[in-house]
This record gives sequence, C-alpha cells and structure tokens, in this order.
Amino acid sequence: MEANIVVDARNKSCPGPLLALTKAVMKASPGQIIMLLSTDPGAPQDIREWASHAGHKVLNVEKMGETYRIYLEVLG
Amino acid sequence: MPKISIIVASEKLDKLFPAATLATTAAVMGWESEMFFTFWGLLALKKGYEPKEVSSDYKSYEDDLRRAISSGAMPSWLEILEQGKKTGKLKIYACSTTMNFLGVKTEDLVAYVDEVVGAASFLSKAKDSDINLFIS
Repeated sequence: MEANIVVDARNKSCPGPLLALTKAVMKASPGQIIMLLSTDPGAPQDIREWASHAGHKVLNVEKMGETYRIYLEVLG
Repeated sequence: MPKISIIVASEKLDKLFPAATLATTAAVMGWESEMFFTFWGLLALKKGYEPKEVSSDYKSYEDDLRRAISSGAMPSWLEILEQGKKTGKLKIYACSTTMNFLGVKTEDLVAYVDEVVGAASFLSKAKDSDINLFIS
C-alpha cells in the first residue's frame, strides 16, 4: 500500500505513537494516507479506537517482524 | 462526545504521567477532558516544576522511568499535556484552597492553567462526566 506520509514512532511507547500520528494528521490533507510505524503492541488497537472517535479510517495493519505498519486515511 | 474528569493529587512522576496520558488521549479522540490539580498535584502546575521523583514505594523503578523519558521512548508529561491543550478540548483547573495554604499565587502557575476554582465549581463542571478518576 502506498502512503503519502510516513510517521516513524518505533521504540516509542503509549501515548507516543498516537501523539506522533495526531500531529501528522493535523498537518495532512483529507484523502492523504499516513503510514505509522510502531513497535508498541498496543498501537494497532489504540489507533483503531482513536480513529473511530476522531473520524479517520484505518485501512490496513501489517506486521513486519516487530514493527506494525498502520495505514490511516485522513478524512475531512 | 464523552467526557473525562481527572483529579490529580500528586506531583510525582508516576502519577502525573498516567494522568496526562489519559487526559490528552481523550482530548485527541475529540472528547471533552478536564484535570483538577489539588493538594500536592498543584505543585506540578508551578512554573519551572519538573517532576523527577516517583512515589516512595516505587523508588527502585525511578531510574528506569527516567531513562525511558530521556531516551525519547516516552514523552515528558508536559509534552503530553501541551499536545492535549493544542486540541482545545483539554481544560486544566488549579485548586484555589491548595493555592491558599501553599501560598501559591496565580502568577506562579504555568500559562496553560485555564482557571483557578474551588471544589464546588469543579464538581459542577465534572458532574456530567462519563469517566471520573482520582489519581494520588
């Protein structure tokens, strides 16, 4: 999956990945796709919960070794 | 939107960190979020205050926590709060009674304090919260 923006939050624990992602979302435009890299095992579920409240969409989550790649579509 | 209210009654790192994490996470989720700093928690709102100690029962973990913060694995509690404030959803209240007995003046408080309030005012603001926590 292609991403417009990559946010590297590896080796950061909660709430680091979510805060790094929300900072990127604030600067992004609707329709852009952000790939968040995280090694926090709580991040995939946390990001899904946050997205459902904040009005964005998690498109996919992949696990590559210890790293999760979480793809988020920024909605308006 | 849901609402969370947190009473913070300690200035120790291991209490401030989860309080700030929950309050800011709620704010970035679009929730209403408010924190009321009372008793020793108020000390954390004084200008220039940097929490360095954990509660005495957990002293043996103090170095681990400091290392996690200095390495960047964990943000500082202030960085967490600042991001919550940027959403406009996080309100921070200082306890007026505590300010009196500790001799703290409004100008001694950090700029992100929204209001100095008493117990009745805070209860009135917090009464419709979905989640209420007391962290000390």
